[in-house]
Amino acid sequence: MAPDIFTYKNVLPQKSTEGGVLAGKKVVIQPNMSARGWLTNAGSLALEGFIALEDATVITRLRNAGAALIGSTRMSELGFGLSDDKRTRALCGGEADIALITDTMGEVRVAAATSGFFGFKPSYGIISRFGLIGLVPSMECYGIMAKSPEDIITTIGAIAGKDENDFSMPDEKLPDFSMPEESPKTTGVAGVIKECLSTLDDTELKAFEAGLEKIEEAGLTIQEVSLENFRLFQTVHNVIGSVEASSSAGKYDGVRYGHRAAPAKNWNEMYLSSRGESFGLLMKTYLFQGAYLQFENYPAFENACRIRRRLIRDTEKLFEHIDVLALPTRRLHHDPVRAATIGETYDAFLLTLPANVTGQPSLQIPSLCLNSGADLGLQIISPRLSDARLLATGMRISSIIHGAKET
Amino acid sequence: MTYHNRSNCGQLSLSDVGREVSLAGWVDALRDHGEVLFIHLRDRSGIIQVVFSPESTSREICDRAGLLKNEFCVFLTGRVVKRAKGTENPNIITGDIEVLARDLAILKKSSTLPFPISEKSMVAGTAIKRDESIAEDLRLQYRYLDLRRPTMQDHLIKRHRILKVVRDFLDEQGFIEIETPMLTKSTPEGARDYLVPSRHHPKQFYALPQSPQLFKQLLMVSGMERYFQIVRCFRDEDLRPNRQPEFTQLDLEASFIDEEFIYELFEELSARMFEIGGINLPCPFQRMSWQEAMNSTGSDRPDLRFGMTFRDAADIFIDTKYGIFKQILKRGGCIKGINVKGQSDRLSKNILQNEYAKEIVPGFGAKGMTWMRVLDGGLESNIVQFFSENERNEILKRFDAENGDVILMIADQSWALVCSALGQLRLHIAERLNMIPKDVFFPVWVTDFPLFEETEDGITSNHHPFTMPDRTDFDPGNTGELLTLRSRAYDLVVNGEELGGGSIRINDRDLQNKMFQALGLSETDVEEKFGFFIRALEYGPPPHGGIALGIDRVVAMILGTSSIREVIAFPKNRSAFCPLTQAPSPVVLKQLAELGLLDMGGTQALPGSKEQQDLIDSLSWVSRININATERPAVIVAVQDAAALAEIVNRHSGEDEPLFSVVTIANRTRTGTEARTSLLAEKGELFKNAPAIKGGYFKVASILE
Repeated sequence: MAPDIFTYKNVLPQKSTEGGVLAGKKVVIQPNMSARGWLTNAGSLALEGFIALEDATVITRLRNAGAALIGSTRMSELGFGLSDDKRTRALCGGEADIALITDTMGEVRVAAATSGFFGFKPSYGIISRFGLIGLVPSMECYGIMAKSPEDIITTIGAIAGKDENDFSMPDEKLPDFSMPEESPKTTGVAGVIKECLSTLDDTELKAFEAGLEKIEEAGLTIQEVSLENFRLFQTVHNVIGSVEASSSAGKYDGVRYGHRAAPAKNWNEMYLSSRGESFGLLMKTYLFQGAYLQFENYPAFENACRIRRRLIRDTEKLFEHIDVLALPTRRLHHDPVRAATIGETYDAFLLTLPANVTGQPSLQIPSLCLNSGADLGLQIISPRLSDARLLATGMRISSIIHGAKET
Repeated sequence: MTYHNRSNCGQLSLSDVGREVSLAGWVDALRDHGEVLFIHLRDRSGIIQVVFSPESTSREICDRAGLLKNEFCVFLTGRVVKRAKGTENPNIITGDIEVLARDLAILKKSSTLPFPISEKSMVAGTAIKRDESIAEDLRLQYRYLDLRRPTMQDHLIKRHRILKVVRDFLDEQGFIEIETPMLTKSTPEGARDYLVPSRHHPKQFYALPQSPQLFKQLLMVSGMERYFQIVRCFRDEDLRPNRQPEFTQLDLEASFIDEEFIYELFEELSARMFEIGGINLPCPFQRMSWQEAMNSTGSDRPDLRFGMTFRDAADIFIDTKYGIFKQILKRGGCIKGINVKGQSDRLSKNILQNEYAKEIVPGFGAKGMTWMRVLDGGLESNIVQFFSENERNEILKRFDAENGDVILMIADQSWALVCSALGQLRLHIAERLNMIPKDVFFPVWVTDFPLFEETEDGITSNHHPFTMPDRTDFDPGNTGELLTLRSRAYDLVVNGEELGGGSIRINDRDLQNKMFQALGLSETDVEEKFGFFIRALEYGPPPHGGIALGIDRVVAMILGTSSIREVIAFPKNRSAFCPLTQAPSPVVLKQLAELGLLDMGGTQALPGSKEQQDLIDSLSWVSRININATERPAVIVAVQDAAALAEIVNRHSGEDEPLFSVVTIANRTRTGTEARTSLLAEKGELFKNAPAIKGGYFKVASILE
C-alpha cells in the first residue's frame, strides 16, 4: 500500500460480521465522512488535524452490514472537484472493492469513468448526511464507486434510509433496493440530449455513438430529445454551489478545530488570517464567488434557484416520453485533475452537473464509450427516486457487455 | 353583502348592542374551541371579537370560518351583543362586547406570515409578548405586514396628526405651502448630493435638494412673505444608525421679521405638536448663547434635563504649586469642573482613578482628569495634598460641595478641548448613574453661533453662507477677525437633540458677495454656483429669515420611539438599503448608455477598476478570508466570472418561484431527547481538536486590539 494515497489507514479493520450483506467487502471512504478516531480533514487545512468524535450514520450502517473499512483516501479540498484525487487508486490496486465518494459536481461518476468502474450518484435526499462534512448541501450526496453494479446495489441498500439524526431528510417513500432474482428485460427508450452533443468534439462524439450502439444492442431504443437550456445547468450549479459553499465554509473559524494562524492582534485578524491560510486557492476563488453572489448580487442566487425549478420541470417532461437519459460521463480534453480555475473545473464536470442540479439518480457505466483505449463513460439518468429501476437497467446493460466480452 | 354600511371594528361600543353590523378587515387572532370559533377582527380603527357558534351562525358559515387563518382579509355581518360576565377582555377597547357572526366572506387568503402581527391577546389577564428580536430587515422587507400592527398604524396616524397640526397652525398664521423642485442644482449644504443624470443633457446632472434653501429665499424676493413646506430632503452622508438618506423637514421662511417672531411662532407650534403625544412643553423656551452653552455644558446641543453644569475653576489656581495646573494656566489654559451631587458611594476611588481618569476621559480627548471626593467636610483625592488649604476651601465653595459629592475637573491649554471632554464626561456620568429624568422635555434655543469655523484649508460657514452676521463691517481677508463674528442663527434643541435650526438671512448683494469672498470663493465660482441667486438680490429683496425642523426626529421624540425608522412608512435600513424594494440596485448597460455615462471616465482609469479592488477587499472582509498579492489576480477573475454568471441567470430567471432544495423540506422536532450537555463536551473530548485552549475554554484572540 502506498501510504501517500491514504489520509487514514485502518490497520485493524473490524472482522466482517457473519451474514452482513457487505461481509467480506473492503470499503474505502473519504476523510470528509466521520469515522470515530480517524483523521477527518476533508482535504482542507480548515480541518487540520480534526479527529472525528462520532461515526457518521453511513459509517455505522456500513459497519453493521459487515463491511471492512480499510481507511480514507486523500481528497480534493472539501470534496470540490477531483484535484489531488487518490480515490480510484485504492480500487485500482485491488485494496478495496467499494469506495464512497461525495458527488457534488459528478466526482464519483467522472472518477469511475476515468478508471473504468461503475459510479453511482443516488437520488438526492435518500442517504443520511449526518456526519458528512459537506460544502454544497442542496446538491451534494454520497456516491458509490465499485467494480460491479451488484456491489453498488448492496451498498446503497445498506446505507440508504431514514435517519433520526438528519433533520433535512424528506418524508418520502424510499426506493426498494432488494435485489431482483433476475435482471429485468431491458426494454425502453433512452433519450439523447441534442444540445449536449454540441459540447463534444469529433472523437468524443464517435465514442459516444459507439456506446449508444451498445445500449441499443442491450435492448434500449435511442431517441433524440431537446433540452433547450442545457447550458444553464452549469451556470445554475456554479451560482448556487458557490453561495452555499461560502455559507457552509463560514463555520471554519480555527477556534474549535482546524488551522489557527500565528497569534493575531485581535479577533477579526485571527479570522482573516486563519481562514486566509486555511483555504487553497481554488476553494478561495469559489468562496469569493459565493461571497460576491451572496452579498453583492443576491437576486442572482434566487434567480438561479428559479431556473433550477424550470430545469427540473423540463427534464421531468422529457421523462414522460423516455425512460432514461443517456449522456457521456466526461470529455477527454477537460481533465478535472488538471483544472486550476473554477471555470475549468466546471467544464470538466459539464456532463455530470445536471443530475446534481435536479437531484436525479445517475449511473456511470464503464467500457461502452471507448475511444482508442480511453473511456468516456456513459451515464444513464432517471427520475428522482427511481434509483432501483435505474440500477437494474445498468446491471442488464453491463451483463450484456460481459456476455459480449466472453464471446 | 355590500361595503357601504360598513362599521369600524374599534368604534363599536355597548351602545351598539343589538345592532346588525357589517365589518371588514383582517383576522388578527383566532381561538378555536371545537364547536365555537372566536376571532379578533382588526381594521384600522381597532379590534372586535367575532364569534362563530352553531347556536347563532349557520353550519355553512361555521364551516367557512373553519378555513380562516391569521391575516385573511374578510367581510362579515353579525349582531353586536354584550359579553357574558367574566368573559370581557380588557386588552381591547371593545372588550365588553362581541359580534355573533351571521355571514362571512373570505375576500382574500393570506400566505404564512414571516412574523406574527397580532399585538392583542384574546384572553383577559394575558398579554402578547411581542418578540422584539424580529430582525429589523425582515420587518422592512415585509413592511406592508409590519405596518398592519396597531403600534405602527398608531405611529403613522399620529405622524399625520402632527403634520396636520403644523399645516393648520401655519395656515392660521398666514403661511402658504409652496412646492419647490426636486430636480435642482447642487446646493452648498456641506453634505454630498444625490445626483440624477439627465438624458436630455448628456453628462449633466441634477442634484436632489439637501434643503430648499435658495428657493425659499427666492420666494421671499418674490414677495410671498410667509412660506412653508413639508418637504423631502436628501443627503448622501456617512451612515449613522439614526439617519436616513432622505428625510422630511418642515421648511419655513418669512419676510419682515426678526428672531423674536421665529421664537414665538415655533414655541407655539412645538407646543401644539408635542400635545399630540400628550406632552406639555414648558413655554417660553430657555435661551442660551452658544458661548454660554459651551461654557456650561460643553455642547452646542445642551441637555438641560439634569444639572451638573460646568464651573470655571481657573482663577482658584492662579498661584497654585500643583505643577500640572500651573503649567496649563501659564500657557493661558482653562480649568473647568462639575459636581456630581451625592454620588461618592457609587463613584469609588477605584472607578474614578482606574476607569475614568485612565480609560474613559482620555477617550474623550483629554490628557487627564482630576477627581475629588467630598468627605467629612474635606476633599479626598490622590492629588489633593498638592493644593493649598485656601485652594481646597475655594473648590468647596465654587462647586457648592457637600459631603458625598464628587468633583471632577479637566484642565487643558485648549478651551475647546476642556469643554468637549468635560461635556462628554457629564453625559457619561449622567447616563451611568441614571441621573436623567424620564418623560421630561427641556427645550432650549441656542443662539449667537460663531459665523465661521476654522478648518485645515481656511474657514468655512458654520451654518451656510446666507446667514446674517452680527455686524457687517468686517474685513473678508482677516481670518482672525472673521473668527470673532457671530451669526444671527438659532438652533432648537430638546433634551440634547437638535430638532431644527435657522437664521436671519443676508438680503444685501454686496454683503453676500463679501461672505463668499471671506469663504475664499473666486468670482467665477460664485457666478457659476450662485449667480442666479446674487442677481435676485439686486431686485429689492426684503429682510427675511426662517427655520427648518426635522420632522422625523420630532415625531420620533414625541412618540418616544427607539429610532426614526419607526415613524417612517418605508424607511431605508441602517445601511441606506431598502430591503423591501431592494434599492439601490444595478441598472442595465442600456440605461447607462442612454444617459451617456458609459465613457464618462475619459482618459482616467476605467470606471470599475478601482471599485473592483474595493469590491475584492470588501468581500475578503465580509467572508473573513485574507488573500495575498499572488492570489489576488485569480480572485479578481473569479469574481468577474461570478458577475457574468449573475448576469446570465438574471437574464434567464423566468417567473418560477425559487427552488432552494429539490426535496420538500420537512420540519421536525427531535423526539424523546432532553436538552443536556453533550457527553463529548463533558468528557472534554471536544477540546481535543482545538488548536488552542486555556483552562476550560477555547482560546481566541482578544476582541479588540
